[in-house]
Amino acid sequence: MFTLDYRVASVLKKYPYNISFRVRDNIVFLQGEVDSHMEWVEIGLSIGRVRGVEGVVNKIRWRGAPGNEAREEWRRRVFEEKRNTVVGEYDVVIIGGGVVGAALARELSKYELKAALLEKSTDIAAGTTKANNGMIHAGVEPSRGTLKRMLNVRGNAMYGKLAEELGFRFNRVGSLWLITPRTLASYRKYLPGPLYNLVLKHVLPWVVKIKGLVNGVRNIRIIRGRRIFELEPFATRDAVAAVYIPSTGVVDPYEVAVALAENAEANGVEIHLETEAVGFIKDGGAVKGVVTNKGVFLCRYVVNSAGLYADEVAALAGSEEYTIHPRKGVLLVFHRDTGVFTRHCLAEIILPQDPYTKGGGINPTVHGNVLWGPTAVEVPDKDDTSVTREEIEHVLSKYSGIVPGFPRDRLIRYFAGVRAATFTEDFVIRPAKWVRNLLHVAGIQSPGLAASPAIAEYAVEKLREMGLGLKPKTGFNPRRRPMPTAAGMSLEELEGKIRMDPAWGRIVCTCEFVSEAEIVEAVRRGARTLDAVKRRTRAGMGECQGGFCTLEIALILSRETGVPLNMLLKEEGRLFNGHVRSEQP
Amino acid sequence: MRGVTVIGGGPSGLAAAVGLAEKGYDVAVVEVMGELGGMLTQCIHDGFGTKVFGEALSGPEFSERLVKKARSLGLKVFLNTYVKEVRAGEGFKEVVAVSPGGVQRLQTRAIVYAIGCRERNGFEIRLGGTRPAGVYTAGMVQRLVNLYGVLPGRRIVIMGGGDVGMIVARHLHLEGVESILMVFPEAGFAGLPRNVQQCVLDFGIPFRPRTVVKKVIGRERVEGVVLTRVDEKWNPVEGTEEFHACDTVVLALGLVPYTGELKLGVRMDPATRGPEVNEFFETSVEGVFAVGNLVQVFDYVDDAFETACIAARGVEKYLNGGLKTAPVRLSPGGNVRMLAPQRVEWVDDGDVPVFLRPAVEKANVRVVVRNREGRILGGFFKRYVRPSTLERIDVPRSMLSNLQEVSIDIAED
Repeated sequence: MFTLDYRVASVLKKYPYNISFRVRDNIVFLQGEVDSHMEWVEIGLSIGRVRGVEGVVNKIRWRGAPGNEAREEWRRRVFEEKRNTVVGEYDVVIIGGGVVGAALARELSKYELKAALLEKSTDIAAGTTKANNGMIHAGVEPSRGTLKRMLNVRGNAMYGKLAEELGFRFNRVGSLWLITPRTLASYRKYLPGPLYNLVLKHVLPWVVKIKGLVNGVRNIRIIRGRRIFELEPFATRDAVAAVYIPSTGVVDPYEVAVALAENAEANGVEIHLETEAVGFIKDGGAVKGVVTNKGVFLCRYVVNSAGLYADEVAALAGSEEYTIHPRKGVLLVFHRDTGVFTRHCLAEIILPQDPYTKGGGINPTVHGNVLWGPTAVEVPDKDDTSVTREEIEHVLSKYSGIVPGFPRDRLIRYFAGVRAATFTEDFVIRPAKWVRNLLHVAGIQSPGLAASPAIAEYAVEKLREMGLGLKPKTGFNPRRRPMPTAAGMSLEELEGKIRMDPAWGRIVCTCEFVSEAEIVEAVRRGARTLDAVKRRTRAGMGECQGGFCTLEIALILSRETGVPLNMLLKEEGRLFNGHVRSEQP
Repeated sequence: MRGVTVIGGGPSGLAAAVGLAEKGYDVAVVEVMGELGGMLTQCIHDGFGTKVFGEALSGPEFSERLVKKARSLGLKVFLNTYVKEVRAGEGFKEVVAVSPGGVQRLQTRAIVYAIGCRERNGFEIRLGGTRPAGVYTAGMVQRLVNLYGVLPGRRIVIMGGGDVGMIVARHLHLEGVESILMVFPEAGFAGLPRNVQQCVLDFGIPFRPRTVVKKVIGRERVEGVVLTRVDEKWNPVEGTEEFHACDTVVLALGLVPYTGELKLGVRMDPATRGPEVNEFFETSVEGVFAVGNLVQVFDYVDDAFETACIAARGVEKYLNGGLKTAPVRLSPGGNVRMLAPQRVEWVDDGDVPVFLRPAVEKANVRVVVRNREGRILGGFFKRYVRPSTLERIDVPRSMLSNLQEVSIDIAED
């Protein structure tokens, strides 16, 4: 038997660099210097794959690496300023208000305890959660022995009830993975003549189906011939077979996160926006308080669900067990009227699969738009949500074979999100190794959205194991009133609404048919920025992309919140930052 | 039953409504905003109305004249009213509109669509980089500054060298922003020569032709742009990338008919990107007319106004059972990028005005009408044509008789 040290050393030997390492409790710390960011990623990943490694802290420097000194300096300064200002005392403090943090908050709100959710941005779901394709994966892809596998299938099954309780849109559209002559093109030479088609039509579908069955995904069907086009009329006629997975669904990811947070708040969890953890007050091996720019949140337990920043939060708390390597995904948004071309989450199986793109393809959304993507590109910067023209072209050409007749000129927007991947490429949900009362809920990448309800349950179970007492709350209300929308009403319903409140009759966003009343309601529910309003109402998400309505929304937002027009925020930056006429520039 | 419903209370909609009311029809105007006048209410610069009123007015002045006229004629005006659905059947038309007063169902005999155009946004030109605060369309900036007195930012980059870009540049300059840089991919400004002089050169506003913004930099707010030079085909020239610090990017990328709001399956013209119309600006649905910038983007409000006046005559013909014959199709030929109307079909004596957009700049040309075999039916001399100026010719109806199809091109004289 070889020790973990030996295995790590033998992997590192393959690289022409002088990289040193040490291992502590199955966590590998890497030190050294390499030429490029890609090598930094590659080495981290190869160590992450070593059997027995539970985390990789990659302190290798690469040439041109951006420093984090400004941020660290800011944290130190705020820490000193705020360490003596107590905000309150909590049983559990959750750091990070993405979909995972929100799901956790809602799960904890079922119990008699005092909890707070801290989010550094101006809104829930403003990081990775807002920028993915909204797919609720069935759970076919994750490999054996991963947390992803266990929590994905479970999370998917929880969505129906959750959607019903919280009033968010959830469509179990199913996914269709197409097998075409391109699928095994790389292996063509090993499969001469008719063997190729035989494998495509009769072997590969079964391989996929069995993998799914082993993972616990039910009702997977193999379909061939005309049946494929009955299900998906515009799919490529090249498809010789397809694997149909009916349990795949789609949601609006920020609607889910916002719904979870609203329900958690209604059940007593405090939600603190624009509240960023800058350090921890420790006592021995435990955290006593989370220091933020708003003051200290004293606590008995801390959950780190800080997404892209989970590694930095873990380090601040004294239990740095992983490094996040950001992986960007670009998505293209097509106009609502393209929905007819895509009924299922569509993908073409191409093998060998790029190990870091899963779920990429053509997806319907709950609103009728269609999304193409995402890509998977390792980026040095956690905030790099840029999209280049080349990336757009890449996505357009990569997926155009799936639905050849798709009106690609109906592209109305594109965006990018960044996945919070760790080098072990699995969810990290476990008590910290070196801090007694810290729970990591990190490395949540795809299928994190699908798994999030199960992640929350699993994490709360871990907290129980760590000693948190959980007494069910008698008054827990699992239901949330959904956001009413004019677009979702019949004319008669709308007429009734207008009689109660004329603002329902003033249509602000004409592309998406959003009324003033909805914007007021979004503000009432906590939206403070233009983007927060947009995510809750869809105002500005249509054909003109806010050309007409941005200013109208800003005026309503200003009136409702009392913030002057020139001080409003888009997300975190000022929407308009010029001077006001008649005031000194 | 109401006579005619005009959808859109901008200059074109008002012109059509006034024209019809003057003929004695019962007209209703439905406007989504809180006041009439459309985009003119935010255009405080002058130059409007030189053809219609014979003087250069500001936008609000121009629209006020129309609004006054409309009021004096007793038009029914629905403000803050959004048209949700339009139903058109045999001898039956209904406009379903939503307003703070409730849901209205307006029965009507004819419909005139005058919903104008929208601005192209950064996504349509595949603008790269991030999407922080600080990127706006020019029209939004104009509205923000003129109506609400707030400046969008301090250091400005304007993308686009057309009229809108130039006018907004002058405006921001006069409002006292710290810096302005105009960039555009063409070799020269794409707008009217008078605007080049009066908006840019007179104020010494810096501009860079053959330059585009490759990407926007910034996380929360724009921090700068990466500029790159482009060649004649607008392809980036390698090695010319350059960072330019700014906090605001203004998109003056042109206008497209706002057809997303057309609630009927009318036939569209891919070249104009608006609905296809006949010589009285009637769409492919009988009794439904489309006028102004919805049909094709006009350079002068006066021309948009003109289409509305023509349509008003068409509505009258339609309501009085005017006759149609087999349509003559008009298609763009050499050096014509787009034209409207696309077909001629009414029985009428008057000439047919045709609006067309040249593809390239040329001096001493003839706009030539040809039959299917290429034989010249007639020609119209033009001293100078350029893409930035829409040309109008009045084709005698006799020239088109007994034909199914003609093409119109611009040839050397």
